[in-house]
Amino acid sequence: MTHNSPRLFIIGLLAACAMPLASMAEQDHSPDQLLREKQEMFRDVAEKMRPFLVRIDTVGGSQPRGFLSTEDDEESPQQPRSQNPFRETVGSSFTIADGATTGIVYSPDGFIITSSFNFIREPVVISVTLGDDRRLVAKLVARDQVRKIALLKVDADSLAVPEWVDRTSVRIGQSAVALGLGFGGEHPSLSVGIISARNRMHGNAFQTDARLSPANYGGPVCDLHGRVIGIAVPMAQRPGELAGIDMYDSGVGFAVPKDRVDEIVSVLQTGRSFYRGWLGIQINPRARDAVVIGNIADPSPMRAAGVLPGDKVIGAEDREIRHFGHLVQAIYMIPAGEPVYLLLERNERQFGKVVTLARNTELGDLPDLEEPFDPSTPTPQEGEEE
Amino acid sequence: MMRASYSLMVLPVLIAMTANVPATHAQDRDSNAGFQRAIDSVMPRVVKLYGLGAGKQKGYGTGIIVSDDGDVLTVFSLLIDARHIRAVLADGTIHQAEVIHRDRQRQLALLRLTRPTAPGTSPAPNALDPFPSFDLDRDVNAAVGDWVLAAGNAFKVADGAEPVSIAHGIISTRTRLDARRRLKDFPYRGDVLIFDGITSNPGAPGSAVVNLDGELVGMIGRVVTSNQTYTHLNYALPRDVLDEFYLESLAAEQGEPTPPETTDQSETPLDPGIRLSRVGYQRILPFVERVKFGSPAQRAGVRKDDLILSLNGRNIPDADEYKRRLSYLEPGESIDLVVQRGRAIVSLRIEMDEK
Repeated sequence: MTHNSPRLFIIGLLAACAMPLASMAEQDHSPDQLLREKQEMFRDVAEKMRPFLVRIDTVGGSQPRGFLSTEDDEESPQQPRSQNPFRETVGSSFTIADGATTGIVYSPDGFIITSSFNFIREPVVISVTLGDDRRLVAKLVARDQVRKIALLKVDADSLAVPEWVDRTSVRIGQSAVALGLGFGGEHPSLSVGIISARNRMHGNAFQTDARLSPANYGGPVCDLHGRVIGIAVPMAQRPGELAGIDMYDSGVGFAVPKDRVDEIVSVLQTGRSFYRGWLGIQINPRARDAVVIGNIADPSPMRAAGVLPGDKVIGAEDREIRHFGHLVQAIYMIPAGEPVYLLLERNERQFGKVVTLARNTELGDLPDLEEPFDPSTPTPQEGEEE
Repeated sequence: MMRASYSLMVLPVLIAMTANVPATHAQDRDSNAGFQRAIDSVMPRVVKLYGLGAGKQKGYGTGIIVSDDGDVLTVFSLLIDARHIRAVLADGTIHQAEVIHRDRQRQLALLRLTRPTAPGTSPAPNALDPFPSFDLDRDVNAAVGDWVLAAGNAFKVADGAEPVSIAHGIISTRTRLDARRRLKDFPYRGDVLIFDGITSNPGAPGSAVVNLDGELVGMIGRVVTSNQTYTHLNYALPRDVLDEFYLESLAAEQGEPTPPETTDQSETPLDPGIRLSRVGYQRILPFVERVKFGSPAQRAGVRKDDLILSLNGRNIPDADEYKRRLSYLEPGESIDLVVQRGRAIVSLRIEMDEK
């Protein structure tokens, strides 16, 4: 990377001198000049952030095939989906590369924050190269598979940490610079754009049109002052470890802001991971215009809440539920262990329930139904049963 | 850091002041008006190319005029195998083009616009005027973070005499290309410029990429998938690589022998004297099983049971990748190896014997 620092400095001085004077030299505010100054700003962001970026290398592991193997392998043997409708499938043809990925120093005592996307292969060895070129073996402390965040720990202290932006000060339309080390080399790659939206993904992320991809997932999305707006992660409006990866480089990308990161990390630091949350129900496929519960796993959060087959789900969180997709949309960003407010209907009487979502491994089998569904009727969104 | 805050402070003021400029210069208030010079420079210097296509290989593309007598650079593709290649200039004039030189390793081709215009093409009103062209024989600065514009005929949306499309982005990074195309390794492994925007699409290869001054910084290459990220890359071959190819092509035309292609994967790879473990299922982790006595690897301090993490900065996830990386080495090139030894990570440099 070449820096034209002397030139920029002179431009800055000239502009500063010209300011008090009412008449400014023509070229100082020409569109051309504005573009050139912005180039320098992009480079300054990269330079300022470089010490806080870490390169993550992984060795071993394998492609997720068929079933997503990241979640609960050690606890439950894999079963064909016909036997266990709650098991998650990958459903994506994307190949997970094994090149370097990006992370950010989170705390001076060696916690590194990155995206869980970078460990889908379940690597055997993880190493972290700090900004000062020290390469250390890293421990994967825990992961948030819903918000796609991962926490690493290396044996280091007195690490410099970047400045973060307060979520409330971020405006739609402001510049965003994404940095990543996924293309290799010592210098980060730059990707620029604007903040497209706030409070996306149920308040978990900013949206940006800066191109995000495996080359910068886990890296920072910064403002022009070189402060972190959020950490880049793949996300989509559906659950699944690979959800959102099909939107790489599309101009629709997501970054998780500081307050949410802090909240997540406080749990990850204790060694606990966040997993996708499940209700443990099967929808009656014959009920077309309503979400009617067909079957309930035993045990499951819904059974514990006293919900019965035949009950209708008409609301979840703050949303009206009229078909299965609505229900998925309402709860896909809520991890296991957290409560969901459901509005149900039984015999034309409405009632509310607070249901704590469970991990799929905590769900029991579906009991045999007296009147099984017609197997020729397709179930809504196979493999996405909630 | 002083420097950064300085310019940041200045910009809002500049914007505020620009906003007070009378509305007659409305376009001046959009900083994107600063792209105009580059657009004016690049537009007449690119041509739309039409040639042979088959299936997924489209019969259209883009080329860059690099001499005033009509030399055109483009990518090596099926397109140039056509009996008649047509080139449409920015003013809508149509020329035939012939292939002067092709380079499989860099995946580049040199064409020449023929004149006078051949039958079936429209005569240029001033057929003997020099073509507007980029002069490759100049140094152009292309830094990471620079704005760039690409001019080309992606998806051939520029119909008939319509000028090509302009896309914008910044230079993300400059790096060695490590990519594949249709399951095969892409032969070019030299430097490329990677962009954040300017999506690689059919028809775009051969597009001219220019900086704010309208100077050529590179040419969009063929559509490839990165081996490091498994994503499609938005990239260009840098100007110096284009210049090198152009000079070689001209020399070859004069009958000088072309330098031998440096990369031939059929050659036996250089051997630093490491034998890897063959234990593993599907993916064999690159554990060192044996180090040959007196070999470069032994001299460098590689030990049995070391786990190889990277070779010359590239991740080595398995034994196959280790072999593949060795095959890319030039004779005499040293190897920077990072290994895990117990809980420690050790960097080693293997000095290879000259052959």
